[in-house]
Parts: sequence; C-alpha cells; structure tokens
Amino acid sequence: MRIALFAAVATVVLASGMVAAKPLTKGQGLAIMHERHEGMEKIGDTNKLLRRELASDNPFMPTVKSSAATIAYLSKRASGWFPAGTGPELGKTGAKPEIWQKPQDFAAKLHNFQAATQVFQAAVNAGDTNAIKGRYADMIHTCSACHDTFRMDMHH
Amino acid sequence: MPRHLSHGHAPLSSRPAFKQPVWDLPVRLFHWLLVGLIAFSWWSAENDHFDWHILSGLSILTLLLFRLLWGLFGSSTARFANFVRGPSHVLRYLRGGWHGIGHTPLGALSVIALLLATSVQVGLGLFNEDDDGLYAGPLANLLSPDTTDSIREFHELNFKILLGLIVLHVGAIIFYRLRGKHLTRPMITGSAATDPAAPPMRPGKWWVALICLAIALAIARWVAAGAPPFGS
Repeated sequence: MRIALFAAVATVVLASGMVAAKPLTKGQGLAIMHERHEGMEKIGDTNKLLRRELASDNPFMPTVKSSAATIAYLSKRASGWFPAGTGPELGKTGAKPEIWQKPQDFAAKLHNFQAATQVFQAAVNAGDTNAIKGRYADMIHTCSACHDTFRMDMHH
Repeated sequence: MPRHLSHGHAPLSSRPAFKQPVWDLPVRLFHWLLVGLIAFSWWSAENDHFDWHILSGLSILTLLLFRLLWGLFGSSTARFANFVRGPSHVLRYLRGGWHGIGHTPLGALSVIALLLATSVQVGLGLFNEDDDGLYAGPLANLLSPDTTDSIREFHELNFKILLGLIVLHVGAIIFYRLRGKHLTRPMITGSAATDPAAPPMRPGKWWVALICLAIALAIARWVAAGAPPFGS
C-alpha cells in the first residue's frame, strides 16, 4: 500500500516536474502534501532516535547507519515535495508561503540539507566517531537553517 | 472583608509605621531575575529561538535551586519554615490578626504556587524536545521520543497554568496598591513600612548565600551535562 502510494506520488511529482507549466489538480497537490508531511515526520522521528544514539558513549552503529540512510534518501525525495500550489492555500501545512516567494533561497537551503545528509552518511560509513558527531551537527544546522525561514508551527 | 486586611489602610494601630528591611538582596535578585528569565523564555519559545530558550530554562533551574537552599539557610523572611502556613493562619490573616513581616500567610500560598509551577515547567523542559528532535532539553535522551512528545504537551499546558498564576500575582499586587499598600517598591528597595511590633528580619549571611549559589550552579551544570552517569 505504502509502496503503491509512493509510486503514485512519484509519478505525479515527475510528471509535474516535466510539464511545469501545467498546474496541479487539487488531488495531486494534496497527495504531495501528504507525502511531504509523512516524509518530514519520518525524518524528525529518525533524527530523534539518531540523536539518542550519538549522545551515548557507545552508539549502536546499525541504528546510526540505517538512520543516516533513511534521512539521506528522504532528503532526496524532498526535491519533489514543494511544487507550486502546495502551500497553506491548498491545505493544512507547516510550509510557509515564503518557500514559493523566495524559490532560489529555498532551493539553496534544501540543497545544503541534501548535501549534508550525504556527507553525514559518508562519515557514518567511514566510522570515525568524532567525525560522525561533527557531520551530524553540520546536518542538523542545515535543518534549522531552512526551518527558521520556511517552516511554521503545525500542531497536529 | 478587605478593610480588615492588615497593613491595608494606615490606621491599623496607633503605632507609627517605620521602614525596616523585609527582603534581602538574594530574594530580590531571585525575584527580578526570575521575572526577566520567564519573559525571555516565553519570547524565545514563541520566536523559535530554542537554543536560547534552553539556556534560559537552565538559568531558571539555577535560580530555583538557589531559592530552595536560601529557603532553608537564608534570611528569616526567605525561609520556608517562617512563611509556609496552614489554612488557620490564612484565615487569621484575613481577619486582620496577623502582625508579622515578610510573606503574609495568604501571599505565601501564592509564592508556593508560583515556585511549584515554575519548577514543574523547568522539570518538564529538561525532558522536552521539539517536533523535529533538533532542540532537546539536557535529559530528553533518557526518555523515548513518544514520551517526550507527551512532555511537550504538558510543558505547553503548564505554561498556561503558570501564566494564570502570574496574572493572579500581579492582580493581587494591584489590588493591594489600590488599598494603599505598596508591594513592588519593597521588592526593589528591600525595605517596607512595617508594624514596629513585628520581629525584625534576621538577615542571612553573605557567605552562606555564596555557598548556596555555588551548589545551585554545580547541580544545574550537572543536569545540563545530561546528568552523568545516568544521561549517557
């Protein structure tokens, strides 16, 4: 079910990217917003567990590795999560309208996050604890940098 | 009833009121730093400065720990044993039969409620983390993310309770002010017009205050570090 939904949404996202001029239908927009919400929540939940591992003296590396992979994967998917027309005007969301008002700034911040997840994942695979913690801090910084400008509180 | 409040209107007794110390410097510093830090904590949370918010909370923790110790070893008007009173004392005060200095039996209830609500707020904050897990209290790693999600809700709820108590506190001060009794000025200057029959404040020792502060700082730093060895 989940895979089917992912595939459906991925198709919509790809299609919307290819024919950028054509606006999304309401259903398509809401489907993307749903995937975005679930994806961001998954990143957050993964990060909470990851942070607990990295705070311990003896992190459980399999959890750290799978968390790094999950976040890196979802960060790539995020490229398709913010097509025009999926802001607060369409439905309940934590995405601020500024995302579409300052698209270049947003794209740069999203890119910084995606790059940082790759660097973090590489550090995890290399295995040096100090480097892992350093790259983790860098990655977290890219989350807040974007959320500070482009995310609003969303109580759900 | 209000006209029976002690110290309300001047002619409670024929004895002239004269100014004498009621609040020592540590109590006054504690009070005004707490006011500033609660306001700052509120502002920083509303404006997503959670790193500052956490530092502010840890500063309040230090203040509370100091106040707890000063309530045991400080000046007479700062000591819990001298102002935490039961309902009979509150009733006697309301009937005008209380002639002490420092917290009145009714005011003491307010002090205790404010201290408790602030302590609960800081205690919850230590285990709190935001939605994304980007900002976390120093003890949040001790609990599961599901638990910290619930704690976040209680942290927000308890702040409303704390705000309610603050409104009540400020309201009471305005009420007394309208009846001719200044409560704010003594909290700034330390002195108030008091009943000469009341026993004077027995001041605490400055070096005891410093020891209390050092202990409070040490405990707060230990908590901030994640309370090793339990935290990691």
